[in-house]
Amino acid sequence: MPNHSSTFQPEPGQGVRSMAEEPVMSVGDDKKAKGWLGSEQRRLLVQEYGIFLAFLILVAVLSVSNEFFLTAGNISNVLLQTSINGVLAIGMTFVILTRGIDLSVGSVVALAGIVSASFVTSSATAGISGAPYPVALGLGIGLLVGIACGAVSGLIVSRFSVPAFVTTLGMLSAARGLTLIYGGGRPVPALTPAFRWIGTGDVFGIPAPVIILAIVFAVSWWILNRTRFGRYIYAVGGNPHAARTSGINITRIQFVVYVISGGLAGFAGMLLSARTGSALPQAGIAYELDAIAAVVIGGTSLSGGVGRVTGTLIGALIIGVMNNGLDLMGIQSYYQQVLKGALIVGAVMLDQKRNYGA
Amino acid sequence: MKRWMIALASATALLASSAMAQEKIKIGAAPYGLNAEFMQIWAAALQEHPAVKSGEVELTVFDGRYDALVQQDQFKTMVTQKYNAIIFAPIDVDAGAAAVQSAADAGIPVIGSNTRVNSDLLTSYVGSDDTISGYMEAKTVLDKIGCKGNVVILEGPVGQSAQISRLEGNKKALAECPDVKVLEDQTANWSRAEAQTLMENWLTAHPKQINGVIGQNDEMALGAIEAIKAAGLDVKSFAIAGIDGITDALHAVKAGEMTSILQDARAQAQGALDLAIFKAKKGDYKPQSDIWTTYKDMPWNDGKEKIYNVPWTPVTAENVDQLLATRK
Repeated sequence: MPNHSSTFQPEPGQGVRSMAEEPVMSVGDDKKAKGWLGSEQRRLLVQEYGIFLAFLILVAVLSVSNEFFLTAGNISNVLLQTSINGVLAIGMTFVILTRGIDLSVGSVVALAGIVSASFVTSSATAGISGAPYPVALGLGIGLLVGIACGAVSGLIVSRFSVPAFVTTLGMLSAARGLTLIYGGGRPVPALTPAFRWIGTGDVFGIPAPVIILAIVFAVSWWILNRTRFGRYIYAVGGNPHAARTSGINITRIQFVVYVISGGLAGFAGMLLSARTGSALPQAGIAYELDAIAAVVIGGTSLSGGVGRVTGTLIGALIIGVMNNGLDLMGIQSYYQQVLKGALIVGAVMLDQKRNYGA
Repeated sequence: MKRWMIALASATALLASSAMAQEKIKIGAAPYGLNAEFMQIWAAALQEHPAVKSGEVELTVFDGRYDALVQQDQFKTMVTQKYNAIIFAPIDVDAGAAAVQSAADAGIPVIGSNTRVNSDLLTSYVGSDDTISGYMEAKTVLDKIGCKGNVVILEGPVGQSAQISRLEGNKKALAECPDVKVLEDQTANWSRAEAQTLMENWLTAHPKQINGVIGQNDEMALGAIEAIKAAGLDVKSFAIAGIDGITDALHAVKAGEMTSILQDARAQAQGALDLAIFKAKKGDYKPQSDIWTTYKDMPWNDGKEKIYNVPWTPVTAENVDQLLATRK
């Protein structure tokens, strides 16, 4: 599904965007047009599927260099280890597509994790009175906590025009503080097996978090590519002024993307506590950075309007596969950090080349 | 005349109350941060000290928020407000020295607790030697696997004093078992989630080869246990150890899944407070905490010692219930 560049086949979102394009952009588009006259096929491959190619090369290299990499058990591990960051990164994609950013997701992970855990713990002291309650209630509460955090950020960004960076930086701090207040700084252990199923269970051998990630991905893909709301998200990110002039309620769009990001962060928080078996107040620290990294590696532009959720999923998989592969080969985690840094910058360099020609 | 009497009486009352307030010893505690369970137990133990409860001591706890600069500023505050003594658990061995210097310049005694600081100006230090716990936990793992086989080590954040000392202890025990191979050795930054991911990958990379897991803290050992369970393996066929004795780990010890070495936060806190009061009252004080009778190996010695080493307690099936009862 090519929907990166407005000169390529128009995806639903792109139609609105090119319509909304301002003349300023045409300079870059001219240069690009020249490039297309060259070896079109090669450019198409590198530009549109570069990140997918990079992923395949990484998988190929790791398959050759480590005998365990391509085993069923390890593939399941990689997907499992990618699931939480994947869910966060998909939520982040919605926000970044509107030119926003959500720095608060790591803290929301901890808050939703600990609040929901207090409803589904069998510990006599850590939970709220009457716990454990049914799993559905715990899941609902966690989701609500995430949505509430997202709604507050969304409201402030969209109604009061406070920059997203500032708003969500504030939420990052506030949600972490609320986490510590709520749990008195202590973990909530002993989550019920029924709740833990979402993190540790499986369906026909496929881990539950992987199925959840697949569902989140499918729904998000559908929203962004097949609905009017999705087209509006691209339009708002591509050119907010033009979007407003064309009658799009950009305040509402901006609000909803933070609600989506917050809700998914809440869900990711429950996945994390279900996996580790205990909700920790220190959970999720710096998770926002990996989520943003996945989005950026996946080709979504931080200046909004351009990108796709498929790229984000591959970006998250690249990070997961890289960490897993280097662990398997016994390489120090320090190198993992250096490689991830190089990958993020490299991906954006590719993005720049795509947007402004070589 | 009557009016004069009332004025005089209230003036005397005022003077008396301010004199009383001056008599009250003001002690500040500066822990590196209060987000984790260990330091929460530590801070709670200070509040439960007999001298604080009786009102003899006015105690203020400053949350250092894991930032050396924040701690330094808190020291400035305590110096300005003329605290009588300070209890200090610095975030960093070297960065804490400047803070100690500023208090020493103002003539305020500083008692170290839990974490070390590179300074000769520290009046006393009450803590536990991490090389010993590192040795003890590795020894329990090695004993359980019979001094042969393969182990993995989950390390703390590289460069932190606890990580350095615990690793030193780990290595000392490993040197006694030359047949044991360390298959993997990486940091999981004290984090359960990070350790879980690492262990999942190690179980893949070394199928059926890992016999023991040395976790430099309980959180990471618990992460390894989750990974083993997720892989469908029997946790009890592994030898797993952690350090600190956090509540979740006590439950795991009770379930026979791991061993832990308890670091006594209460003794470190109350011992330091007794020393702080002792110094503030210029030696005119007898220690009030019961820890001095609990630990015969750590005698009070008239508050003269530079270093008080609080012994480590291995958590076993025998004492785990008693320890769990102390955690509400």
